[in-house]
Amino acid sequence: MEVREIKTLLVLMRDYGLVELEIEDKKGKVRLVRGGARASIDEADAPSVRVATPIKMATRHVEATTEDGAKAAGKIDLEPNQKLIESPMVGTFYRAASPDAAPFVEEGSSIRKGQPLCIIEAMKMMNEIESPAAGRVIRILAENGNPIEYGQPLMIIEVA
Amino acid sequence: MFKKLLVANRGTIAIRIIRACRELGISTVAVFSTADKDALHVRMADESVCIGPPAAEDSYLNIPAILSAATTFGADAVHPGYGFLSENGDFAEACQRSGLNFVGPRARHIRLMGDKPRARRIMKRAGVPVLPGSEGTGVTELREAQIDAKRLGYPVLIKAAAGGGGKGMRIVRDANELARLFSLAQGESEASFSSRKMYLEKYLERARHVEFQILADNNRNAIHLGERDCSIQRRHQKVIEETPCPILTARLRDKMGKAAVRAADVVGYSNVGTVEFLLAPGGEFYFIEMNTRIQVEHGVTEMVTGVDLVKESIRMAMGQPLALKQRQVTFTGASMEFRIYAEDPERGIPSPGVVSNHHTPGGLGVRVETALYDGYRVPVQYDPLIAKLIVHAETRAEVIARAKAALREYVIDGIKTNIPLHLKILHDPDFNRGEVSTDFLRRYEPPPVEARPAVAPVSKAS
Repeated sequence: MEVREIKTLLVLMRDYGLVELEIEDKKGKVRLVRGGARASIDEADAPSVRVATPIKMATRHVEATTEDGAKAAGKIDLEPNQKLIESPMVGTFYRAASPDAAPFVEEGSSIRKGQPLCIIEAMKMMNEIESPAAGRVIRILAENGNPIEYGQPLMIIEVA
Repeated sequence: MFKKLLVANRGTIAIRIIRACRELGISTVAVFSTADKDALHVRMADESVCIGPPAAEDSYLNIPAILSAATTFGADAVHPGYGFLSENGDFAEACQRSGLNFVGPRARHIRLMGDKPRARRIMKRAGVPVLPGSEGTGVTELREAQIDAKRLGYPVLIKAAAGGGGKGMRIVRDANELARLFSLAQGESEASFSSRKMYLEKYLERARHVEFQILADNNRNAIHLGERDCSIQRRHQKVIEETPCPILTARLRDKMGKAAVRAADVVGYSNVGTVEFLLAPGGEFYFIEMNTRIQVEHGVTEMVTGVDLVKESIRMAMGQPLALKQRQVTFTGASMEFRIYAEDPERGIPSPGVVSNHHTPGGLGVRVETALYDGYRVPVQYDPLIAKLIVHAETRAEVIARAKAALREYVIDGIKTNIPLHLKILHDPDFNRGEVSTDFLRRYEPPPVEARPAVAPVSKAS
């Protein structure tokens, strides 16, 4: 596995708050553990993404954006002037109005109240998610094109 | 073969569907409201999707959210379970339009049977005996109800034309009660089913509620899998169901079974369904309605026939032909289901809370269907049915003995349940003799909930 690929995995881990990530494919197997890990890693606390293991009861066999997204929010401490943008519906997350359009916002973008931040597509209908306040986009938590559940954290914004 | 099935339900039936899918090798997606994030069905499914806030209308009844979850997460089939959207023709149609396989009958069957007066008309034309009642499309005005009631003769039963589940139903014993009860029932119907359409039926005293399980493939091959006697009801909600019906002879079973299959045939029914009859003390039977879904009490039929009804509903939805011929259906022994509700048995009101010391009974012929676990918080927003105890044995007397032992073993602390009521019923002499009818439970009716006085009563000077 190349360093570039490992870097992508590390970004994935950071974005979804993973502590441990193990991937096995025909090229090989890699296991990454983030520094500062606790003495005991509880299975319910830090789900690791495994490929091709039997499905066990009471362990969520998760797609990266569902449980992990929610867990990431649990690990994120919001500053007093920060707000979490959560999805009001089930659907697919898109950063832009169409594949060749520019994303509505980037990390660091200034935003107005009511400005579209992203789209959740449900049943072929594009629903714009508007910013509840003026301010700045701090972090984008969801990944373009990924399935999103109700209440899933999408972005952190800083309120002006 | 379905690859991924979305379970559009929660609780006991969601567990049941997930189990059947596991056996069939179909992967599962559970949907849940935020109130159900710790629910068992969410943990058991291969994937889970939060679809909304606690209120049922924003989650389990939210058609766009469920369809979005199904298409976004790549499901190719949806199982509606019972309750919620299972008898919603719009939902069935919407699934079909979105390219999702709906595990159930066609949307048109759901709509047809959901219109009770229309179902009655069709059955009457098909030669299936129907209870005397309102003609045509039903009644909306009190004046029309009064005409019908006079023609039928009291007592009569007011029912919601778009209804089910005991809502919008009232027994009327004389003309004086009719006005008040008609508007009460109509109000309930409007709230529950968004419809003011009602109809009347002659009320049969001491009748038994006997329903027949239907199974049909997509090629109009239908069979029945025997009856269930559901006479033990409280406010038209079933509490205990059993098979066989203690007073049914083989001849009458055959006659009623054929009528049930004719009811299914006449509309070209497919998948699972239940034809409900009222059995009068004299042995006459009348069609009441048809339920176009898998029912809560399907388990008792499974115990005596050995047929897995949920797996069959999925197989039929996958287009497989019915493998069983009517003559191959056999019945072994007897079975009873005891619905366990999270309710205060003294006052008959729901009892939510956190479950502790959870222990389910076991052994031969003892089956528990539940989504409870130790530490689970029973939510307030949903139906208080938290478990089903299904007992099977060779004879009815043995089922009763086995059920008594099982209920004594069953421990659910932290909330109140109606287990004590079940034990009372099991010791009741009439119940043991099989002499029950739909008014049986009146004898164990808790006292009405009293309103507390706003001001403490002033003591009188002596």
